[in-house]
Amino acid sequence: MNALIIGQLAVSGALMGLVYALIAYGFQLTYATSKSINFGQGELVMVSAFFSLTLLDHGVPYALMVPGGLAFGALLGLLVERTGVRLALEEKSEGWVLLTIILGLFFFSAAENIWGRDDRPFPTPLSENPVHVFGIDVTRMEISVAVGVFAIMGLIELFKRRTLLGKAFEAVSADRDAAELMGISATRTVMLSYGLSGAVAALAGILVSPITTVGPTMASAMILKAFSVAVVAGLDSGFGVVLIGMFLGALEGLASFYIGSGWREAPGLMLLILALAVRPTGVFGKAGIRKV
Amino acid sequence: MKRLLLIHGAELAVFALLAAIPLAVANPYALGLLTLLAIYGILLIGLDVTVGYLGQINLGHVAFLGLGAYAAGICITRFGMGLFPALGVAALVGVALGGLLALPALRLEGPQFALATLSFTALSFTFLNEMESLTGGAQGLSLTRPPLWGHDLSPRGFFWLCTVLLAFVWLSMRNLLHSQWGRAFEALRDSAIATDAMGIGAYRHKVAAFALGSGLGGLAGGLYAFNFQYLQPQSFVYDLMVILLLGVVLGGRKSLWGAFVGASIVVLLPNLLSNRQVFLAVSGLGFLLALGSGAQGLIRKTTRPFQALAPVVAMGLLVAGGLLVQNTEDWRKAIFALMLFSVVVGLPEGLMGFAARALTRLFRVAPAPLPAPSDLDAVLPKRAADGSAFLELEDLKRHFGGVKAVDGLSMTVRSGQIHGLIGPNGSGKSTVVNVISGLYPPTSGRMRLRGRPLATGSLYRAAQSGLARTFQNLQLFGELTALENVMVALKGVYRSPVPLVLLGLAKGEERRARADALALLDLLGLKDQARARAKDLTYGDQRFLEVARALARKPDLLILDEPAAGLAHPDVQRLIQIIRRIHQRGIAMILIEHHMDVVSELCTVVTVLDGGRVIAEGSPDEVKRHPKVVEAYLGQAGPGDAAPQPA
Repeated sequence: MNALIIGQLAVSGALMGLVYALIAYGFQLTYATSKSINFGQGELVMVSAFFSLTLLDHGVPYALMVPGGLAFGALLGLLVERTGVRLALEEKSEGWVLLTIILGLFFFSAAENIWGRDDRPFPTPLSENPVHVFGIDVTRMEISVAVGVFAIMGLIELFKRRTLLGKAFEAVSADRDAAELMGISATRTVMLSYGLSGAVAALAGILVSPITTVGPTMASAMILKAFSVAVVAGLDSGFGVVLIGMFLGALEGLASFYIGSGWREAPGLMLLILALAVRPTGVFGKAGIRKV
Repeated sequence: MKRLLLIHGAELAVFALLAAIPLAVANPYALGLLTLLAIYGILLIGLDVTVGYLGQINLGHVAFLGLGAYAAGICITRFGMGLFPALGVAALVGVALGGLLALPALRLEGPQFALATLSFTALSFTFLNEMESLTGGAQGLSLTRPPLWGHDLSPRGFFWLCTVLLAFVWLSMRNLLHSQWGRAFEALRDSAIATDAMGIGAYRHKVAAFALGSGLGGLAGGLYAFNFQYLQPQSFVYDLMVILLLGVVLGGRKSLWGAFVGASIVVLLPNLLSNRQVFLAVSGLGFLLALGSGAQGLIRKTTRPFQALAPVVAMGLLVAGGLLVQNTEDWRKAIFALMLFSVVVGLPEGLMGFAARALTRLFRVAPAPLPAPSDLDAVLPKRAADGSAFLELEDLKRHFGGVKAVDGLSMTVRSGQIHGLIGPNGSGKSTVVNVISGLYPPTSGRMRLRGRPLATGSLYRAAQSGLARTFQNLQLFGELTALENVMVALKGVYRSPVPLVLLGLAKGEERRARADALALLDLLGLKDQARARAKDLTYGDQRFLEVARALARKPDLLILDEPAAGLAHPDVQRLIQIIRRIHQRGIAMILIEHHMDVVSELCTVVTVLDGGRVIAEGSPDEVKRHPKVVEAYLGQAGPGDAAPQPA
């Protein structure tokens, strides 16, 4: 019985952890090309979810809402890149940290005023009945999260490896200056990465909303865990985020049961601080040599 | 004189005005705002230490405010402590936890540092919320302000207490930040590697800066607790953190005035927004300012188009929004975001940075005069050179994975000698220097300095034992002036303990440091550039400044890593003269150089490396004719005496 409870908690936690992994993957995309991340990514998740909900409310069918929401997320990503990141990158400063925080604050306030401060349910076409696997209940929504996360990550990785544009993306990630000398526009590639990252954030919002409901603060706790996942795994760890995301999610599920739900974020946060102290490049990241 | 009068006069005027307001205004609401202003002033001065001086995005400051507030509250309710002891505990909690958090955060820079501190904020919220037996959890913690020396404090009395503390913090922080400590913090921001290599110590200064800033956060927390007399964990979360951070940036980093202005804005903003007329006036003014400065920047071509246009658009949005939206208070965060966006993009140095420049121009304030340089013999005393073995390397190896960058190198540098180290690109010269100076630990082998083992793998300890180096890829402290670059590295001048520095009683050694540093700049021919920021110097002058800074360590052994790289011919001649003068003072040198003429002219002994091994050693002339050297440079044995042509 006890083992069953642990299994149940770990599995639901790990599936939830996939959402953190997906947002963390969005950080990786922009970090690869520009060594920057959007500190307001949680607001992108939230605003895109609200936008998708509005689409559904206006009678847009579910199948069209998803691409609509993704496109909206991509647009927001591009907006963040243009207003918050590009200038700082041109000046080689870390001003993007502040600017993306500021943009997040703006999006948050705008969402609060446009859609209200209350949490709202997000409809889903999936049935409520859970699936039983080895005595563990898995809801259909949780399965859809897993499918969605792996589908988009797989697609983007294929895109990076198989298309010319994707190879340009990899080239800029490997060496920005060399790529520019080969005639690849680094600015455009950074734009592309922010667009993709925005779309990924939007998908995370659409996948998680039926579980968590939609509200202005829906992503504030989630984003912290996504940061943890990205950093513990390493900002250039590729699929490492999936493993760490599932691990952290399971840990959180168990912690909330055994220590108390108020403490559920504590293990992840301590892990983050420790991981940063011991291995700043992350568990799966590449350690570089200090050069002078 | 005029300068000091203006600066101190303005400070005095602000504090006198602040202290006098409650005599004229009896409104309790206004008094509450002023008290909060004083508290936030202390808080933001503390935040500015990490954000401005250390240059890190610190998202943990609000946690120290909360932990300090709760510490003071618990001291009062549980232990019945007095007012000052409770404040002391609050500050100590900040110092201790700040120091602890700095330890793991030490190796982190930029976004990783921001994330570590952000997690700390979330963690401390969880702690305050869940430790119900201690903090009362979400229910909150009520307390009564303790009496001061037996007298109950009226709100007005408490305000004066806060103001006095703010003035005290202000003055002592000004003393500290204008001393070696402040310079060291800034040095750390610009180059952590050079901070260690110059023996300043990145480690202790990072911990100290963080503990100091967090201590002020804790102190402000204690005052916060006594002001509101009711605490809730929800008050100390990310939202407030963002606003505080933006207060510092808006006011202007690295400036006490900036922190004060930032605090005023943070405190007054909600009130500005609630009055429609005031809000429209402020936003309209901001729009015109953005338009004016943007147009000016575009016409003078000092700003990029985005920098000029984006603030105009943001402020335009603010004006339009103010006209359209019914209740501006609901949009508080968005308004704050738009204003901040405009300032961060359009006025990167903040409101006070901008104002300070404008006022300096307006009043034609001359910079503080420089003292006469010290006597060079006092700064860099001549030492006896007896040609004995000074630095001995024995079978030194350094491998990176499979790459054997240095593979069994043995060489001896004798005291008072200029020892050349040459070799084709990739032969391992720079790695040797990096191993000797402690950047990399050796894979194996022995290094002895004056017969004793040399510390390995620590730039700081190597520097402490009497080595100094320059960097091939310049590692200057870009934002510091040339003079400060040398002052911050100066050895053996700063002896005053911190309390004396805080009280401003260490001005003597500051004067001496300035004079000594000027003597070194004079030696390098940089005296006229003393006030220029290092990053604004010409490339050649930057190279010379690296040498001056290394000399400030008063080293026994100076390692020059390609000092002539990229220098124009006249500068190369100047460099040769300077190295000769340094040599006359008895300082041993290792000179890595590609310019064979420089090496031939200066070096007593030359060691030639190829593939991480020594292939020849001897006088410059012997080495030039050595067949292996010729082969290493030209690829094959040439006809007899062909001189190597460096790449």
